Amino acid sequence: MPFVKSLRARVAGSFALIGLAVPAVLGGGLWLAAERLGDGSVPALVLFGGGAGFALLFLVAWSWQNFDTRFVAPLRTLRRDLETIIHANPDHELSEHAGGYVPELVDAARETTHALRSARGEVTSAIDSATRMADEQKGRLATILRDLHEGVIVCNLDHQILLYNKRALEILHVSGELGLGRSLLKFLNRDPILHALERLTARMAAQPGEAGPEDPEEGWSTLLVCSTSDGRYTVAGRLSLLTDAGEETANGYVVTIDDVTQELAVLGRRDRLLRESVDGIRDPLASIRAAIETLSDNPELEGETRAALEGVVRNGCETLSHHLDRMSGEYREIITGHWPMSDVFSDNLLDCVVRRMTEEHGIECVLEGGPAWLHCDSFSVVELLDHLIRRVHEHGGAERFELEAQVWDRGIYIDVSWQGAPVPVSLLDTWLGEQLRESLGGLTGRDILEHHKAEAWCDAARPGVARLRLPLPPPVEDHWFDPGASSALPSRPEFYDFDLLKRMTSGTLEARPLRELMYVVFDTETTGLEPSKGDEMISIAGVRIVNGRVLSGETFDELIHPGREIPPDSIRFHGITDDMVRGKPPAADVLARFHAFVGDAVLVAHNAAFDMKFLELKESETGLRFENAVLDTVLLSAFVHDHSGEHTLDSVAERFGIEIQGRHTALGDSMVTAHVFVRMLDLLQARQIETLGEALEVSRQIVEIRRRQAKY
Amino acid sequence: MAQTVLVVDDEPSIVRALTYLLSRASLDVQIAKDGDEALAAIEAHRPSLVLLDVMLPKRDGFEVCEMIRANPDWRDIRIIMLTARGRDADREKGLALGADAYLTKPFSTREVLAKVQKILAADVQSAS
Repeated sequence: MPFVKSLRARVAGSFALIGLAVPAVLGGGLWLAAERLGDGSVPALVLFGGGAGFALLFLVAWSWQNFDTRFVAPLRTLRRDLETIIHANPDHELSEHAGGYVPELVDAARETTHALRSARGEVTSAIDSATRMADEQKGRLATILRDLHEGVIVCNLDHQILLYNKRALEILHVSGELGLGRSLLKFLNRDPILHALERLTARMAAQPGEAGPEDPEEGWSTLLVCSTSDGRYTVAGRLSLLTDAGEETANGYVVTIDDVTQELAVLGRRDRLLRESVDGIRDPLASIRAAIETLSDNPELEGETRAALEGVVRNGCETLSHHLDRMSGEYREIITGHWPMSDVFSDNLLDCVVRRMTEEHGIECVLEGGPAWLHCDSFSVVELLDHLIRRVHEHGGAERFELEAQVWDRGIYIDVSWQGAPVPVSLLDTWLGEQLRESLGGLTGRDILEHHKAEAWCDAARPGVARLRLPLPPPVEDHWFDPGASSALPSRPEFYDFDLLKRMTSGTLEARPLRELMYVVFDTETTGLEPSKGDEMISIAGVRIVNGRVLSGETFDELIHPGREIPPDSIRFHGITDDMVRGKPPAADVLARFHAFVGDAVLVAHNAAFDMKFLELKESETGLRFENAVLDTVLLSAFVHDHSGEHTLDSVAERFGIEIQGRHTALGDSMVTAHVFVRMLDLLQARQIETLGEALEVSRQIVEIRRRQAKY
Repeated sequence: MAQTVLVVDDEPSIVRALTYLLSRASLDVQIAKDGDEALAAIEAHRPSLVLLDVMLPKRDGFEVCEMIRANPDWRDIRIIMLTARGRDADREKGLALGADAYLTKPFSTREVLAKVQKILAADVQSAS
């Protein structure tokens, strides 16, 4: 704490010198006087001189004390206030008593800070409008990414994830979030990625100074097929290098992926099916052939031998029939070919048809009944329905069509009904034989039905109402019971952080700049304040900070079943009741997920020791150790705001001008603490605390000072 | 009087096997090799039941089935469709167009006979 040494200690030192000098000078004077006046004067001189000495010492001490409280301390407060205004909270007001003997200084400082505030206001509004524009563009980018069919993940060369979209989560089967700043190699098998990167960087190095790659089709990009790190899913796509403006060096890469697990599985099943078909035919066929040949070569055979041979033929035929049935059944289940099919929600599909018929052809179509999931290529099915409805309209003059999806035991019917007579099979066949739009490459309706292994027919739904039926395959996944990771995500998550691109990994963690580090700011709610006496966690929440930004889209927030009653006294604080934790997972489960969420980030909490205590007490039970570096915002506050004794979360947040929402919930407190911590990073930097090591060191000093204070 | 069954198929060996089988069950058997012949045979012989292959020259089995059902005089003719196409969608289509049963090749001749007899017996019962 350089300021303390420089001013307070210096002033105290000066007064101490005066305090030493006064008795010395006085003593010297009295000694000279005693020499001159003779021994008889000594008692009197000692008496008066001593009295004068004590009086002078008292005066010196009194002036020092006065000087310290009226001059040094106010100056200190003034300086802290000014630091807070400059680095953290421009709206912070100077303390009234700052200034002491020099109120003019406070007035001058106040004027200066007002001038600073208005100047900053102008800068801020300029920055705000620029930021708003940037945010808008980011938002647009995020929307595009969100709606992409492929998963997109952008990483820097350290494989840290800078950006990802919702689809990527689904393809990697990650529930929750990937975590900005975490390594992609945690989710995907590392070797194929490293290999692809190596090849691309080698290719780039082989063509130095060229504006682009040799083959613009390929770009700085290559095919990538790899499995998820747990080996359960296979993904395929491309890996492309991100280059700087001059396209000379790479500073990151983009992975676009699709889940091909199913396609590969289908290929595998098809191979197996083919093999089994061939193998399964050989034996029965051989028996039949041998039996038939024996029978026809020996027409004289009678009795048991003949009956036995006929039995062989009959059994062989039965075996073959069963074999064929089984094979064709399995074959039908396999989605063949590379026709792009996906699970589609019938309402979306039929809405398309309705809009197109109404807007383009002026034919009234309405949706009926409830929605259902089905598996199809929606584009070609819409084209087919469009074609058929128009033909029905031209043929019979029907003006109004009802569209409905119906579930049957093997899939979904798409029904189109209208007032009138059913279309004869032959006519429907003619229509199905016609080519659809150019955009479908000359496909006929029959082709589209074949791709879907479907048929189409027309019958009477009820007297006077004709119905065209298209049975389509059922969905591949069970959509009704799987809400999916995607729906649980916030609508506008902060999924991107391009600033990570600039980041370099440097040395050990402690030597790394505070700004570069990843943090998880967390908080727990508990049944009480004494973990050693059986108090338990009932809620834990955290939020990630990356590159000095609080990522509100990357949070952890879970309730815990404490395995005991929640005392009514504590409910006043956190509002969590026994009912709310009923059926919630125990601490071990939640902490395992929290451990994964934290990864190797630095942990931050307000009064971290308290929360860490609860985590440590669970270590033996969960086997999970939180060995992360820990920073405590209480200690850091005591350092950056050493003029104040108030370091509760409320008062700290108020000093930093942070609006408090959701206080006394684990997530709410985590968010407030996170914002406090981000502001503190500025103040720490202003006081030359640049690295994690230095921040930990000042925290230790504060702990030491507090311990000593506690002794007195 | 013996009931008449019309066998419509363009595959001679199947026709021969079915004819033999049905005759032995004291049924009167007529034969047609394509859709047009089938319609003519129905007109001429008014069978009680038609064994109808789907893949036929000229008119396919679905169309013949639909035409039988479209004619009010033929409404009570029973139809069993025989096909080499085993997809669920085809079965649904056949039943939707008015077939009474749908058998997939290869089928056991006994299975066909059993089905024919069951359907005809039900008719006799409901008629009496």
